[in-house]
Amino acid sequence: MADILFSIPGIINGRILGFILNITIAALVYYYISTKKQVYIRRVPGLDAIEEAVGRSAEMGKPVVCSFGIGGLTYWTLAGLRILSHVARLSAKTGSRLIVPTGGGDQSLIVRPVAEEIVRTAYILEGAEDQYNPDDLPFLSGQQYAYVGGYIGIMQRTRPGSVIMTGSHASDAMNIAETSNAVGAITITSGSYISNVAALACASDYILIGEEAPAAGAYLSEDPAQRASIRVQDLFKWLAIAMVVIGIAANSIGNDLILRLLST
Amino acid sequence: MAEILKNRQLQLVVMALSFLMVFLPYFLNIPALNTASTKLITITAIVTAFTVALAVIAQFRRGMNIINRRSRGWYFKVYMLVTLVLMLLFSLMGRESGPYHWVMYSVVNPLSSVNYGILAFYMASTCARAFRARNTKAMLLLLSGFIVLLYQAPLTGAFFPGIEPVALYLGDTFGFAAGRMFLISVTVGAIVFGVRVIMGNEPSVLGLGGEE
Amino acid sequence: MADESGGIMKLMAEYDRRYVYLILFLVVTIPLLSPIGMPISVSPDTRQYYGILQQVQPGDKVFFTLNTEFSGYNEIQSGIIATMRVLVEKNARICFGVAHVEATSIPELILKAVHDELEAKDYQYGRDYVILGYVMPNEAAVAAMAQDFQGSVTQDWLGRPIAGTFLDEIDDWQDWDLIADFTTGIQTTSLLNHFALRGTPMIVNCIGVMIPSQKPYVDTGVYLAILQSMRGGAELELLIGHPGPGLTAMDAFTFGHYMLILFIIIGNVGYLGYTRNAQRRAG
Repeated sequence: MADILFSIPGIINGRILGFILNITIAALVYYYISTKKQVYIRRVPGLDAIEEAVGRSAEMGKPVVCSFGIGGLTYWTLAGLRILSHVARLSAKTGSRLIVPTGGGDQSLIVRPVAEEIVRTAYILEGAEDQYNPDDLPFLSGQQYAYVGGYIGIMQRTRPGSVIMTGSHASDAMNIAETSNAVGAITITSGSYISNVAALACASDYILIGEEAPAAGAYLSEDPAQRASIRVQDLFKWLAIAMVVIGIAANSIGNDLILRLLST
Repeated sequence: MAEILKNRQLQLVVMALSFLMVFLPYFLNIPALNTASTKLITITAIVTAFTVALAVIAQFRRGMNIINRRSRGWYFKVYMLVTLVLMLLFSLMGRESGPYHWVMYSVVNPLSSVNYGILAFYMASTCARAFRARNTKAMLLLLSGFIVLLYQAPLTGAFFPGIEPVALYLGDTFGFAAGRMFLISVTVGAIVFGVRVIMGNEPSVLGLGGEE
Repeated sequence: MADESGGIMKLMAEYDRRYVYLILFLVVTIPLLSPIGMPISVSPDTRQYYGILQQVQPGDKVFFTLNTEFSGYNEIQSGIIATMRVLVEKNARICFGVAHVEATSIPELILKAVHDELEAKDYQYGRDYVILGYVMPNEAAVAAMAQDFQGSVTQDWLGRPIAGTFLDEIDDWQDWDLIADFTTGIQTTSLLNHFALRGTPMIVNCIGVMIPSQKPYVDTGVYLAILQSMRGGAELELLIGHPGPGLTAMDAFTFGHYMLILFIIIGNVGYLGYTRNAQRRAG
């Protein structure tokens, strides 16, 4: 680590920039949420793929399988739940059967009631409450591999027309994506871990990489708070890009300003 | 009392205070706050451990409900509950040897290993299926993949040491750049999500759901 | 109408994936049952990892964290056992902690594998090594151990008090001389946040898919070194001169990779010779 650029009394050296950035992020999020302005977010191309997939399932008379991850109520799971809401409404509209395998982690029992409520509400909003079947949201297991076994079994038996796998998945992602391909379903996944992205990009027909899933969720929900979050994240990505570019330029001429700033 | 505890504002205040008690000592050197933060974190660890017990109870209740209603697959729930109770009893009989030890080594570990091992077959069929030189970008990807796969086979590096710098260059530049990008995105996303939760804009986290 | 038979090209483009499974099974199993002993190269990362282990001093307190399910242990066991051998050779004091219920059975396997070395160095439980068991179920537990070890951990995995063991010297993150983390990603981020980023020296042995996400931390100096999956473990076994499960598996590892490359080539030949022409004919 290089020397620090400046110090602020009271704040531990080496953590000053982190403190300032955290406060700035919080302030920006608060500002955007409090203005209640509908921040513009472009439509994520993956949403078109999801709508096409559900439509294809409806035409073929096959079910749609949609999962939201194996984690607890985290950033990725909530993004997966928003996409689940959208898929549930599409399924209700088109009359396709929607199967939502739940479980896979210690925290998944906490998320399950939220998912049930989301799917039921979606069917009610589309005026298709009679189509809602709670047995189509089976809790498979709290263990990852047992969950995968159940998920694969569901796909092998029901032969879905499309499989939409969002949220955070670990090594189960590969099993599910490849089996989905083997049964002939359109496979749409989201890669929340860098470890999974490469494999899922090969195995899926369409992948939402990283932030695309939360952005898709924010686009669908039209909630100002979620859109504000995406905007703040984008701002900080631009800041990171600027620091990288300036840092490379500065380092090339022997100036360690950015390095010292990052070490502050 | 229950109504007071369910009050959303109270929950948010408790959450915000807890956050500050853990967040501030990391950046500000205040000894009294350090001590309080340590105590709070230890309490959280204990409380979180109890969620395991809650999960077991929830599984029991749900399982019994399904068995009573004779829903689809109820016999699997019987099997699950029986094995759950058995493992609990076995663990009380000792973990270094005996039935618990046998079940872990003869059932749980091999099953877990098999599921992980199956990934290799899926990866192989994915690679065989997906790596096609459909266009220029795919061709470049294929070429990079070849070089890295060749290098990953240990024998190649032993006989063709010249491949090592090329493969390492591909990994250290393009490969890790993607990893760093992910780290930045995910970190900022997690901070922003945390701010939204503390501000009360994520009701589902507090169990208040239903606002879709 | 165009000739749609395709012949060998069609077969190469559209073979059943079960042939891939069968051939992969044979290609991996046969060298495992009958190893050939092909040479392997040693990567710079493994040399760096070995170099860090060589700097461990007698009496150093090492937190040996098993952030893996048993399934992941199969991939990184060569690195785990080789690292353990070096630490025992260096007379380090080792504390095992696990982050998953399945991993509670792993310390026993490790100790069995290095039993001769432990006997030779007269390693005694409590004085030289302790098994804490499942003490890292979540980030809060890891954070508690980092800030107040004595307050958060009082018993070992069998319920015996740790008072009187070498862990009496551990108060917080500053008191560990090294963290050796063997991970499939369970609580590694927590260890990073609460130990490594505060300054505790840390080395990592991770599974293959985690390498792109963990390597940046080595480049920035947060981790001292990284051992990459089973191959890294095999390289470490070669460096320490003690062959084990890693080196045994390298023949299968090599053949498996070459088989993958062969199938990719076959698929592309079939694609270029049949599929692309069929797509053009179809319009």
